[in-house]
Amino acid sequence: MIQNPRKRRIRLAFTNLFFIFLCIAGLIPILYALSVSFNSSNSVFATGFSLIPSDFTLDHYKNVIFSQPFLLWLKNTMLLAFFTVIISLAVAVPAAYAFSRFRFRGRKTTIYLLLLLNAFPSILSMLALYRLLHSMGLINTYTGLIIVYTGGMTIFSLWNMKGYFDTISIDIEHAAQIDGANDFQIICRIVLPLAKPTIIVTAVLVLINVWNDYIFAINFLSAAGKYTLAAGLYTLQATEQTRNWPLFSAASLLASLPILIIFFIIQKQMKSGLTSGGVKE
Amino acid sequence: MNKKSRPWFYSFPALAVISLIILFPILYTGYLSFTNMNIYHWFNPGIIGFENYRKALFVFDSGFLPALLRTILWTVLNMAIQVAVSFLISVLLNSEGLVLKNFYKTLLMFPWAMPAYVSILLWRLGIFNSQFGLLNHWLSLLKIEPVNWLNGNLSAFLCCMVVNLWMAFPFMILTMDGAIQSIDKSYYESAVLEGAGTFTKMTKITYPMIRPIIMPAVILTTFVTFKQFDTVYLMTQQVGSKTGADIHTVITYAYEKAFITSNYGYSAAISILIFIIIIALTVISKKYIREGGAQ
Repeated sequence: MIQNPRKRRIRLAFTNLFFIFLCIAGLIPILYALSVSFNSSNSVFATGFSLIPSDFTLDHYKNVIFSQPFLLWLKNTMLLAFFTVIISLAVAVPAAYAFSRFRFRGRKTTIYLLLLLNAFPSILSMLALYRLLHSMGLINTYTGLIIVYTGGMTIFSLWNMKGYFDTISIDIEHAAQIDGANDFQIICRIVLPLAKPTIIVTAVLVLINVWNDYIFAINFLSAAGKYTLAAGLYTLQATEQTRNWPLFSAASLLASLPILIIFFIIQKQMKSGLTSGGVKE
Repeated sequence: MNKKSRPWFYSFPALAVISLIILFPILYTGYLSFTNMNIYHWFNPGIIGFENYRKALFVFDSGFLPALLRTILWTVLNMAIQVAVSFLISVLLNSEGLVLKNFYKTLLMFPWAMPAYVSILLWRLGIFNSQFGLLNHWLSLLKIEPVNWLNGNLSAFLCCMVVNLWMAFPFMILTMDGAIQSIDKSYYESAVLEGAGTFTKMTKITYPMIRPIIMPAVILTTFVTFKQFDTVYLMTQQVGSKTGADIHTVITYAYEKAFITSNYGYSAAISILIFIIIIALTVISKKYIREGGAQ
């Protein structure tokens, strides 16, 4: 290709400039919150926007960790997320395996039906779910929320993992079957190791879903001591927003940190582990 | 266990929890939609036939049809801007010799990685807040009176769009970037030999080549945008801190009718209508992908 090298260099410089500007502009809401969270309260309004806090302090973070129920909320969230992920996988892996490996009557109909059911926005189920949990005595319990979160993610998990299982060659399993392995052994020894990317991605998406939900948590948990991080932060901003904006910034950035870390760790696996396209809701 | 019942045995737990958490609420909502259940008839709702549906579909003032039109506008605008801007950014990201590409890409992914509710609240409190938000701070530097960004319908709608686009760009950019990388470089080389410019390459090679690859992601995002609840709710409709703007989408509208004004039967009818609309769109888009979309 013949191209004027000088012209090319100028163009590249402009492209770089554009991206530097774009990245900074795109990160402004986060950078601003970061700056506010490290700035001592009374100078926030005086100095306005600067990426470097003019009056550096860790007070807001100390405040969040020690005088707010932050650690309690964190523990609650981790507990909920852990059990939801485990149960979701325990429920969805065998089903995904069945729909991928067996050909049985009603299979196609069920798959199609699940697709239709998935069209109903989960938020619109809230009242029915409330009454359901209420009748089972599960309001204000983690068991209730775990069932709701698991149910909400099962169709996605099933579809996503089934799609991946479909791409794994069945020959190895046939060989194992001939050697006398049963389904359980086949799933544990062959399918799961081969399907690791999709299992990890599915698990992480379930985890993120629990971590980021506030609306079910605030509606189904009535005791603030049981709140998750998202529910706690939601109430924090709803009740004390104006006075405690630096505190809220610090708390929300802290709450996001684990998700940010996990997200960037699995980003590479995202491509191979997601079969039905990326989903973030 | 015989071979026929084994797959059902394996999928039983999944199907059971789906029946309980997904199927039951839909059926129950369907039942409620034919009743007058509200705050006065909480324990003894009566069957009132299609009255709720009639009110939703034929009484314009009831608010459902305006919300539906607004939701369609919201979805179309969001998707059009999202696809167009992401396309330009992805093409630029793939400029020859852009050494820092991966660095930029990582920074651009942050809005996707952040929990959505945190992002929305940071925008609301940090950027748009009328007293100490960044926008009004900048205006004050220009000696312009502060603006209540989230109070007016139009400005609140635009603010919500900005936030929604901000959260949605990364996924679209990532998808398009992946699609662009899958294009065989030799197409561009021969195009350059033929004398094609940047614009021609973009419209005649890049766009048609990535179209079938990105289509599933675009359709998926369209549904997510249509069903979007958090942005509009957290920005303008929070219980106890409504901003005064009425920019309900169908989902926030249904939510409000149930949980704020306690009009459960009516809200249920709205929910079923939304369900039908989404199913219809799903069927159409499936057909589209199968026939024309994948070309």
